[in-house]
Amino acid sequence: MPPRSIWNGTITFGLVNVPVKLYSAIESKTVHFSEVHAKDGAQLEHRRICPKEGKEVDYDEVVKGYEVSPDQYVILEKDEVKAAAGDRGKVVHLTEFVDAEEIDPVFFDRTYFVGSRDAKDAYRLLHEALRRSGRAGIGRFTFHDREYLVAVRALDDVIALHTLRFHDEVVSPDELDIPSGQRGPAAREVKMAAQLVESLDEDFRPERYEDSYRNSVLDLIKRKAAGKEIDLVAQEEPDHDDLAAALEASLGGGGGR
Amino acid sequence: MPRALWTGSLSFGLVNVPVQLLSAARDLDYHFHELHEKDKVRIEQRRFCSKEDVEVLFEEVAHAYDLNGKQVIVTDAELASVEPRKTRTIDIEAFVELADVDPIYFDHPYLVAPAGDSEGTLRAYRLLVEVMERTKRVALGRFVMRTKEYLAALRVRDGGLTLSTMLFHDEIRPTKPIPTGGQKPAKKQVDHAVALIEALSTDWDPSSYEDCYRERLRRVIESKRKRRKIEVPEAEREPKPAPDLMAALERALENVRAGKHPRAEAEANGSSNGDGDLVGLSREQLYERAQKEDIPGRTKMSKKQLVDALSGGEPGGR
Repeated sequence: MPPRSIWNGTITFGLVNVPVKLYSAIESKTVHFSEVHAKDGAQLEHRRICPKEGKEVDYDEVVKGYEVSPDQYVILEKDEVKAAAGDRGKVVHLTEFVDAEEIDPVFFDRTYFVGSRDAKDAYRLLHEALRRSGRAGIGRFTFHDREYLVAVRALDDVIALHTLRFHDEVVSPDELDIPSGQRGPAAREVKMAAQLVESLDEDFRPERYEDSYRNSVLDLIKRKAAGKEIDLVAQEEPDHDDLAAALEASLGGGGGR
Repeated sequence: MPRALWTGSLSFGLVNVPVQLLSAARDLDYHFHELHEKDKVRIEQRRFCSKEDVEVLFEEVAHAYDLNGKQVIVTDAELASVEPRKTRTIDIEAFVELADVDPIYFDHPYLVAPAGDSEGTLRAYRLLVEVMERTKRVALGRFVMRTKEYLAALRVRDGGLTLSTMLFHDEIRPTKPIPTGGQKPAKKQVDHAVALIEALSTDWDPSSYEDCYRERLRRVIESKRKRRKIEVPEAEREPKPAPDLMAALERALENVRAGKHPRAEAEANGSSNGDGDLVGLSREQLYERAQKEDIPGRTKMSKKQLVDALSGGEPGGR
C-alpha cells in the first residue's frame, strides 16, 4: 500500500518551484496500551468538564487561555491562535543553503520524506543538486497552523525535510558549569581508555540493534494472554571501581565485553 | 542547574561514571489552557467508562493491549518485571564514527553531567570527554528511562557529553514507496542548480534564525491583552512550476549575482507575500526594505529592530 501523504505544497529554490507531498518518515514501534476501566475492561473516554458547573463542555464552547498571572488569562479564539501561523501554509522557500554536515544533530527534531507530485516536475533536479552539493536548504514550513524552521537535504534516493530546533531551544553544556576537578586524567589513563575505545570500534549497522524492551513487553502480553503466571523480579545497582584498575581489567578481559 | 531527568552510571568497559541526564532541549513555546468560554473556568479532562457512563478514578485504570482482537490487561507491576535488570546504567557497547550515523536516527537530546563532584567521578567524566573528542567517535549504548529501553548515542559537544536517544532501524519507514518521479535532469540543469545553491550558501549559524511563530504568537497575545483587533494574514498563493526550468534557473542565478533576491520577479508579480509578514523575512531581506524606505540607523539594527522599524515602530501594532 502506498503511504498516505500528510501535506501538499511547493518547495522553491531560486525561481524553481517543486510541487511536493510530505510523508512521515518515522513510525514509533513503542508498545502502546489503551486505558480501560479495570472493573469491566471497557474503553475510557476523556471528556472535557467545567469544574464549576460539573458538566461536560462541547469543543465549540472552548477558548484558549494564556495565563499571565495565577488565574488571569488572556483569552484567544482558536482563529486568533491560527493567525500566528503566518501566511505560508503551502510553500517552503529555501532561501539559504548550508553544509548539511555542519548542522549539529542536536538541532534535528522530526523528519519527513518529501515525494514528488507530478511526473513533469523538478523533484529530481532538486534532489540531485542537493546530493551533489552536500548542502541542506533552510526554510520555513507551516504545518497544522504552526511554523517550523526546516532543513531540506538529500537522503538516499529521496529528499528529507527535518524540522529544526531554534538556537535558544538548545541547551549547551557550558550552561551547566561542570566542575573540572583537581587534576585531569593521567596520560596513562587516556592511553588505556583510547585503546578501549579502539577495541570497541565498529561500523554503524542500525539493524544490529533490536528494541529488546519492546520485544519483552510483547512477550509479556502473549504470556499473559496464554494465562501464564508473571514473575516479578528485582533489579540491581552496579559497583563503582577504581578508575585505572577498572580500565586495566577491561583491557585485560579481551576488550571488556 | 536544571532538574535531572535520570541519574545512574555510565558504564564503559569496567569503568562506571555516576552521571545525570538533563534535557538539552528547552521548551519556549507559549502554552494555552482550555477554558470554558462562558465562565472562563479551566476545563478538566476526566476519564469516563464508555460502558457505565460514570467517572473513573486513576486507581481504577488498567492498561489494555489488543492482541489480534483479544483484549489483554497488563498491570504496572507486570510491566516493571520485564524492564531490563541493569536499569540504572548506560552501557556503552560500541564506538562508531559520527558521520556514519545519519541524523534521522537521533530522537531527543540530553546533556550528560557528572553526578556529584567527587574527584573520582569528575576525573572519569573528563577522561571520557577527552578520549571521545580525540578519537572523534560516538559511543552507542542502551539504558532504561522511565519504562522504556533506549538506544543512545553519546558524543562530545561544546566540551561536555551529549546523549541522544535513537530510533530503532524498523522505526524509520522505507523510502522505496515514496514517489520520486519527475524528469531526469539534464547535466546542464544540475550544474546550474548546484551553482544557484552555492551562490545562496552560507555558514550554518543557528543564532541567525528566530522562532517567528513564537514571536507572532507573543504579538497576538499582546494585542489581545491591549484589546486590539487580530488580523489574520492572507495566505500566500502556492506558486506554479516554471514552464521552462532552465530559464528559471538562469534568471534566479542572474538575480543572485546582481545582488537581488533570487525570486525578485516572483515577488514583484505578487505571488509572494509582499509586505505581509516581516517577521518571516531574513535580516538581509529586511535590510533591503529598510534601504528602500530610507530608515535611519538601519545598518546597526538587529533583525527585531528592523521588523519594528518597518512596521511603524510599534511592536504588536500590525
